[in-house]
Amino acid sequence: MQVRTPLTVITGPLGSGKTTLLRHILDTVSKKIAILMNEFGEIAIDSKIIAGKNVQMADLGGGCVCCSLLGEFEAAVDEIIDTVDPDIIVVETTGVAEPDALVFDIQESLTKVRLDGVVTVIDADAMVKYPSVGHTSRIQIEAADTIILNKIDLVSESELKAIEEKLHSLNQVASILATKRCQVDPDLLFGIGRERVEAPPYHVHQPEFESFSYTTNAICDRTCFEEFADSLRTEVYRAKGFVKFSDATYLFNFVAGRWELELFEQEGTQLVFIGKQLSELKDQIINNLKLCEQ
Amino acid sequence: MAIIEVLKKISDTVWEIPISYKEGMRVPARIYGTEKLIREMDDAVYDQITNVATLPGITKYALCMPDGHFGYGFPIGGVAAMDVESGGVISPGGIGFDINCGMRLMVTNLTYKEVKPYIKEVVDKLYQKVPAGVGSKGFVKLSRNDFREVVEQGARWCVRNGYGWEEDLSFIEENGCIEGADAAKISEKAIDRGFNQIGTLGSGNHYLEIQVAKQENIFDPELARSMGITMPDQVVVMFHCGSRGFGHQVATDYLQSFLKVMESKYGIKILDRELACAPFNSPEGQAYFAAMKCGINMSFANRQVILHRIREVFSDVFGRTAEDLGMQMVYDVAHNTAKLERHLIDGKERSLLVHRKGATRAFAPGMADVPEQYKAIGQPIIIGGSMETGSYLLVGVPTGAQTFFSTAHGSGRTMSRTKARKTWRGEKLQKDMEAKGIYVRSTSWQGLAEEAGGAYKDVDEVIEAAELAGISKRVVRLTPIGNIKG
Repeated sequence: MQVRTPLTVITGPLGSGKTTLLRHILDTVSKKIAILMNEFGEIAIDSKIIAGKNVQMADLGGGCVCCSLLGEFEAAVDEIIDTVDPDIIVVETTGVAEPDALVFDIQESLTKVRLDGVVTVIDADAMVKYPSVGHTSRIQIEAADTIILNKIDLVSESELKAIEEKLHSLNQVASILATKRCQVDPDLLFGIGRERVEAPPYHVHQPEFESFSYTTNAICDRTCFEEFADSLRTEVYRAKGFVKFSDATYLFNFVAGRWELELFEQEGTQLVFIGKQLSELKDQIINNLKLCEQ
Repeated sequence: MAIIEVLKKISDTVWEIPISYKEGMRVPARIYGTEKLIREMDDAVYDQITNVATLPGITKYALCMPDGHFGYGFPIGGVAAMDVESGGVISPGGIGFDINCGMRLMVTNLTYKEVKPYIKEVVDKLYQKVPAGVGSKGFVKLSRNDFREVVEQGARWCVRNGYGWEEDLSFIEENGCIEGADAAKISEKAIDRGFNQIGTLGSGNHYLEIQVAKQENIFDPELARSMGITMPDQVVVMFHCGSRGFGHQVATDYLQSFLKVMESKYGIKILDRELACAPFNSPEGQAYFAAMKCGINMSFANRQVILHRIREVFSDVFGRTAEDLGMQMVYDVAHNTAKLERHLIDGKERSLLVHRKGATRAFAPGMADVPEQYKAIGQPIIIGGSMETGSYLLVGVPTGAQTFFSTAHGSGRTMSRTKARKTWRGEKLQKDMEAKGIYVRSTSWQGLAEEAGGAYKDVDEVIEAAELAGISKRVVRLTPIGNIKG
């Protein structure tokens, strides 16, 4: 079975902090990452550029590459997978792009990747300065699974609350992560990769977020697990990992109430839950999960 | 659905949003269109055009053409004239990323009957000679320094280097080269993205089309004749493209530059950051104006090279020279620019920076800048409809003064690209179009689906609204028989 490479789209208006976020991801995630941009931004510096047919690639060290789009998007993604086989592909759109068509393309036509999520970076200060959310920004917000509300040090607490409400009115399902300089726990952005069982990478944890994991060799009842996933409360922002049913093991990916299961070559159940004040709910969640074990 | 109740009806085709609608509006907004078109308009258009009405220096009205729909900052179809002598601004969001995206039309002396047996051959050969698609590169090999010359000299550079005829230049807005383009004001990144794209169509809604002027679609035979359409079922070639990645990068560079200085240095407060701007008479505003003009010239050059390729292909297929095939240009007109023009405002001539974003200049008979050949009849206006429904050739009229001599530019989307992709399948669309007598080639099935006729407003309704409002006059409606979609 071919495993599809998870792909995350990073979007957001000009100057909101997309490049800062990419740098932060490269600094904190110890996986092989391929970053695909429309053109080289500030990430690829002093590095050897290798020209391909559909992408130009720049080696960032540690197996990570920065790719700039030359041809059609789909061909570029295939070329990246064939040449560097990354664990994660991150696509950074330009600040003026409407990401909805790209998202649709990834889901509809790209067979080698799986859309892991859309991360939209929003400048809190700009949200205060410009009361009318622009057309393109609106589409970027609407497309998000996760909104990084950046530069919160530049706004007051009451302003922050108002911005969060406004963002929520535009997108009810995305989780909003308030940050300064895009300092976010990357676990909140990405699904789990094949190297999850290896040493966890260094993380700057969001203070208000807590996480716990659960591992078992028992087989889960699928219907019961689906009900369990539906019942996860809003305190759980993100859950991911593997779950073993009677037929096979699946990759479980849960973001802000939405979830999916995908066949995956892995043994055993291993799940991580991330959310606010989660320690209080930990026992209850584990108990509910245990009820599904056969 | 639009909230038509907000609008004050000025006439059957002009609708006004008063300044009381939103705090900060300096002038009222006026939207052109029949009631049907207005009702179909997205609410975002109201929001955007009234945001435009708050920009410093805006004169008379913030205008939206009948094909208006939402865009980055300004709606597409937006027209705003800024008084540069009293703090008027320049805004990239009022020009569009595809600087000098525009239309070019050329006639032939061939009829539909003569071309029909060769249509596939013509389209297939054009598809090879005029690269289309997102990252497409042209066959004109330029160094970065050559490219700097191109963006300062526009189509003139092309003619000097063997791409086209000297006389072509007089049939291009600004004679194919806008003065004041300064390559020192463009970034290296913009050059990177543009220097190998001369002679390419690009993607999105850009296309090259072989069309027929059917007898029954000639509204004014006299005017049509003046523009070279002289016989029944005459075949013409129309194409739509712009400044590709280059214009996009110029716009992005200056949006970023304006965001830094707009408020801190010039104290300009705007409602939507996508409307980032700078005073026209500021170093930043002037730098963008000079850079944007490079985008205008790059686009004129791009269309000039494409024109030359079309002549080569026709000449090859029909075994006659382009001169012999009567492949004369009708006109080349932009629909994404900001230009400094003199307009009469309340009896006084003023210097205005007219932003036209998805709006076509439509100069009346006798006006300066209308080519000699058209001085008596008015400036030709080329309107690209959707690839399924047909396009138009119009002419400017004296009553166009109400919109600073601007009219529509196309039919205007009614459906997002994504929704169109979900609604149509490119493969099927191609077959359906072939059954209707239109042979289509495209680099991408999804891209083709985005451009389905059903994703657009009714072009006939748009053009009729423009005529009823007195901002342009119909000359010929053109029917596609072959299409290359970028």
